[in-house]
Amino acid sequence: MKVMTMWRDALDGLVKSPATQRYPFVRAVAPDRLRGQLHWNPESCTGCGLCAKDCPAEAIEVIVLDKKAKRFVFRYHVDRCTFCAQCVASCRQGCLEMASDAWELAATDKDDFLVHYGAEEDVEAVLAGAPAADAPVAE
Amino acid sequence: MASEKFVIPIGPQHPALKEPGHFEFNVDGEIVTDASVRLGYVHRGIEKGAETRNFVQAEYLVERICGICSHVHATAFCLGVERLAGVEAPPRAQAIRQIVAELERIHSHLLWVGVAAHEAGFDTLFMYTWRDRETVMNLLEGITGNRVNYSANVLGGVKCDIGPEQAEAIQIGLNFLEERTRHYLEVVSSDAMFLRRTRGIGVMTREDAERMGVVGPTARASGVPRDVRIDAPYLLYAEHPVELVIEEAGDLEARFKVRVRELFESYRVIRELLTALPEGELTARIPRRIKPAETISRVEAPRGELFYFIKSNGTDSAERVKVRTPTLPNMASVLALSVGHQLADVPMILAGIDPCFSCNDRMAVVKRNGDEQVWTWEQLRQYGIEYYR
Repeated sequence: MKVMTMWRDALDGLVKSPATQRYPFVRAVAPDRLRGQLHWNPESCTGCGLCAKDCPAEAIEVIVLDKKAKRFVFRYHVDRCTFCAQCVASCRQGCLEMASDAWELAATDKDDFLVHYGAEEDVEAVLAGAPAADAPVAE
Repeated sequence: MASEKFVIPIGPQHPALKEPGHFEFNVDGEIVTDASVRLGYVHRGIEKGAETRNFVQAEYLVERICGICSHVHATAFCLGVERLAGVEAPPRAQAIRQIVAELERIHSHLLWVGVAAHEAGFDTLFMYTWRDRETVMNLLEGITGNRVNYSANVLGGVKCDIGPEQAEAIQIGLNFLEERTRHYLEVVSSDAMFLRRTRGIGVMTREDAERMGVVGPTARASGVPRDVRIDAPYLLYAEHPVELVIEEAGDLEARFKVRVRELFESYRVIRELLTALPEGELTARIPRRIKPAETISRVEAPRGELFYFIKSNGTDSAERVKVRTPTLPNMASVLALSVGHQLADVPMILAGIDPCFSCNDRMAVVKRNGDEQVWTWEQLRQYGIEYYR
């Protein structure tokens, strides 16, 4: 039986610098593998929509404007994303990756959470609500 | 006046721990004479939710049953679905699953030591265990990419590899934690004031533990040799076994000792796996549709035996997913052990089983003799609507 078994820790704590970090003044470097915002690389995408099908949070929509011409718009709901990276594992073409540096994703406006990837004119067409005729929407 | 009962309600908000559960304690002065519990405040319909999603999506849903032991839920589900599909994860994937599971046990046990110490009023121990717990959280973040819901598993394997860089970081982290754990073991087994709160409090005999069917470290602290990792090895626990950590006393002190001593076993088995990490693929291909079959999957969560029943019906989603988390069988012991103790010891006894209320809350119909009933989904749905009206 002893008393005050943690006195040494308590004394050490007085002279050591705090274990906590002074965020947001000091921003720690995130580990390489941190799963942050999702990025889509259109080059090898085939528009199969497997990423959207497997997404547990329904955060991904692949809008196919023209499959032959490879005109796809990739709509990503950042606020729904659970950052599980299943889409990255599901994609057979390796089009998706999660950025380790983009993890401060808070916003004051809900529209900021809606991210569109794709050619500029295609995104504009989708935003205008006029997808190409008989375009199947993989959701 | 002696016939009147004095009832102290505790909860449903914040009954010792920051999760909802309602307890009623009948007291005679300061001594508890009877106890009852009402659970179910955080029922989230996860089992039903898992049936409406495909197997891939359901894995991430069940991972969120518990915020502390998320990886074992996903592992249990993946092992079950892989068995249904007749697929086995490659050895390297199994080793990585086991490493992450043991790292998770380290973080869970360190968290528990802190919480239980806080319930005893020993906040110094709470602060320092939680500071050291950050080490293992950072390791998990470095390996998998997330601190809490690691999502290390995919059906058929794992997403993340452990390379030389991660292995070295784990070794450094474990060396630090092992030294600290030795210190904590000394504190919980020798600090005079702390022992006044734990020694001889909440004593559960081996017979009681077996009768109430308690699981995990709570059972092992009462001398019941029960650990799924040893009784029914999964992953690579057959090749790289853990030793059973057992204490005979059955009081709160024994529960502290069992959990802290288990940390050393976790450190040892992680180091063993890192030196003998099998080469090869990380994932095996798994079919999207799974033929009709049913299976059970058992793993040892930090709190005890975690049980999954999964039934497939030939489509890409499950017909039925049933989960039993370790808190449910352990909860009965809280009520039985509280009787005869001071009311002030009750939070410690409750924390002693390492309860996780939201893990535990799901629909259960208890069949008594003669009044058993079968409910259809429609009846259940109506019951739910009426209940909340």
